[in-house]
Amino acid sequence: MNHKMKKAATGVIASLLALSLAACGSNSNSPAGTATNGGSGSSGSKVTLELAISKSSQDSAFVAQDLLDAFEKETNIKVNLQLLPAEQTATVLQTKLAVDETPDIIQYNLASAVTDLNLERNFEILDSEPWVSRLLNKDVLSANDHVYSFHVSQDTGMQGVVYNKDMFKELNLSIPTTFEEFLAVCEAIKASGVTPVFMPFKDNWAANIWPGAAFADYAAKNDPTLFDDLNSNKKKWTDIPEFAALLDQQYQVFKKGYTNPDILSDSYDMAVGKFLDKEVAMMFMGDWLIENVAEKDPSIHLGLFAIPSSKDASLGASPLGGQLFIPKKAKHMAEAKKFLEFIATKEQAQKMVDAQGYVSNFNDVTTPKLPDYKQEIVDNYITPKKTVLTTDAHMLVDRSELYRNLQDQFAGAKTPEEVLSAWNDKFAQLMKDKGVAGF
Amino acid sequence: MKTKSLYPYYLIWPALFIYCIFFVLPALIGLFYSFTDWRLDRETLKFIGLDNFQQIFSDKTLVLALKNTFIFAIVTVIGKNVLGIALAIGLNMRLKSKNLLRAIFYSPSILSVLVISIVFTPMLRTDGTINKFLEAIGLGVIGQSWLTDPTIVIWTVALVSIWQHTGFQMAIYLAGLQSISKEYYEAATIDGAGAWSTFSKITLPLLLPAININLMLTLIGGLKVFSEVFVLTGGGPGNASQVVGTIILRSFGEGSWGMGTAINTLLFAAVTVISIPLLIFMRRKEVAE
Repeated sequence: MNHKMKKAATGVIASLLALSLAACGSNSNSPAGTATNGGSGSSGSKVTLELAISKSSQDSAFVAQDLLDAFEKETNIKVNLQLLPAEQTATVLQTKLAVDETPDIIQYNLASAVTDLNLERNFEILDSEPWVSRLLNKDVLSANDHVYSFHVSQDTGMQGVVYNKDMFKELNLSIPTTFEEFLAVCEAIKASGVTPVFMPFKDNWAANIWPGAAFADYAAKNDPTLFDDLNSNKKKWTDIPEFAALLDQQYQVFKKGYTNPDILSDSYDMAVGKFLDKEVAMMFMGDWLIENVAEKDPSIHLGLFAIPSSKDASLGASPLGGQLFIPKKAKHMAEAKKFLEFIATKEQAQKMVDAQGYVSNFNDVTTPKLPDYKQEIVDNYITPKKTVLTTDAHMLVDRSELYRNLQDQFAGAKTPEEVLSAWNDKFAQLMKDKGVAGF
Repeated sequence: MKTKSLYPYYLIWPALFIYCIFFVLPALIGLFYSFTDWRLDRETLKFIGLDNFQQIFSDKTLVLALKNTFIFAIVTVIGKNVLGIALAIGLNMRLKSKNLLRAIFYSPSILSVLVISIVFTPMLRTDGTINKFLEAIGLGVIGQSWLTDPTIVIWTVALVSIWQHTGFQMAIYLAGLQSISKEYYEAATIDGAGAWSTFSKITLPLLLPAININLMLTLIGGLKVFSEVFVLTGGGPGNASQVVGTIILRSFGEGSWGMGTAINTLLFAAVTVISIPLLIFMRRKEVAE
């Protein structure tokens, strides 16, 4: 009897433990419940939208507290931010989408969403939203002829050589238009005691700014169907010897001693400080760096010119970044669409465009006076149509292995030809895995 | 005839249940996925047999990662255990400051690996503290690009790991040393045994249980290395310090989930195949002594 009682008690304890465990799992696994009740506790009817965003995009205009407060005040809908680790944003979002723990809104880059997040399968088509009819440039928000994303701006990030205009003026230097002229400019800057170029290649993506624009410039001038051919396996990355020459150009800038010495230890987050301290004169980067420096010290005058890989090269235009997307499985689809409608109202969009110096994408929202550097880009490159979409926009697969190969080149482990060969193999494997025809 | 009570076995049920749900079941599910083309951009799964495993060995980066993993495991097993025994013996002596020294040597092992990254990354730069110190004492010639030279980067990460974890191994060896009866040493002294004879004939054999535990812990930890590499180098420069753990992360990042689980399965098999025979061998040695 005693033995039976012990047995029964043990069974009950085990069941309780199992139940409590299941209860814990259930509780932590119920974002829907959390979202429905939001932060309002007992109110019951208040909806909380979950907006997922990379930690590195915390300064995004879409998540400014006054905007979120105004939205909540008008609609009684709260927006909760899910901050994702910058290095793992894609992985975390992939996992969330795969296990149906989808946020209601995601901020991401359209071109990357096509390659990383399976845009067509996972995201809502927004063609019939009321704000779409007011768009000036639908293309920057579209893929496969459908509007998938939202933004109030039609600016794309421009990529080239960010340079200190004051230093160029002091040294009486003009903007180089060929690679030889660029090396001469570097020599003159080095002679003045300043590091000509800052290369923060600990962040391997930074090594891709030069080839990303230079490859695209080469293709636009010499072989307009090149990227289509690469994407259908009619051509291989190793078939274009000019690519190796363009990779070698960037390496020569380093080998000739025109850069910071420890390029593989220095990271992008040091860049603003390097320009503020006037330690460096140039950097292969996007115009967002100019904005970041101007925020800290408006007295420093930076500008942007095209990567001088060939005579009169075009300025690289990266795909528009930081758009908002609504997953198909969003738990609060209607409210998420309402959030986009709210930002798209003439009043809110104008506020955002004015504050950020955006080129407006709505026909009833006025583009403000642009900052000097941006106006120069418009006058020198956009108006005369001297821009080219960077190579990244044409690649349908994850590019991190290419970036690692570029890093290998600067570590002395690969020649430009070996970089292209390694990327060619990886690209083919990724395209095959993806099920792209021809691979 | 006395019946053996089954009561203690019932207490194992909850733990066994939790273990099955959170380890055995996911491991079996993972094994299944490793034979499929499970991907982010596929609607359906297809059973593809050993394709993932064939692809693994044709990937040069993964072969490099396997080599790096074994270098890391071997270097850290040797480093952590040799230094751990040396420190334990030293701090088992009658020293006034032994408690303070034990705390100092043990303290790195309680630090987060992120703290280690923040401290060591600037120290290991080409123009960092370590090279400057070497230069100051006239050894500038052995200065290196510790974290950016592809030929030495995995060794550097292994040395940082040894620095951090040796204190933990030392603590286990200290416990082992203190369980050895002093009578053995007294007898050895009377017999006129020297320091080496005492160490090799008394200390080492009686320390075998602790050595066994430490070897298994360091070996399995070394083969499963991820965090040290991830925070110090991210697998770079390029792919120079990739290990199996970082390659698994890369596969998931590329959306190749089936491949990621296949590599994980392979790592599990490698750890099992290496550690179980070693464990059996070491246990036998223990009994023999």
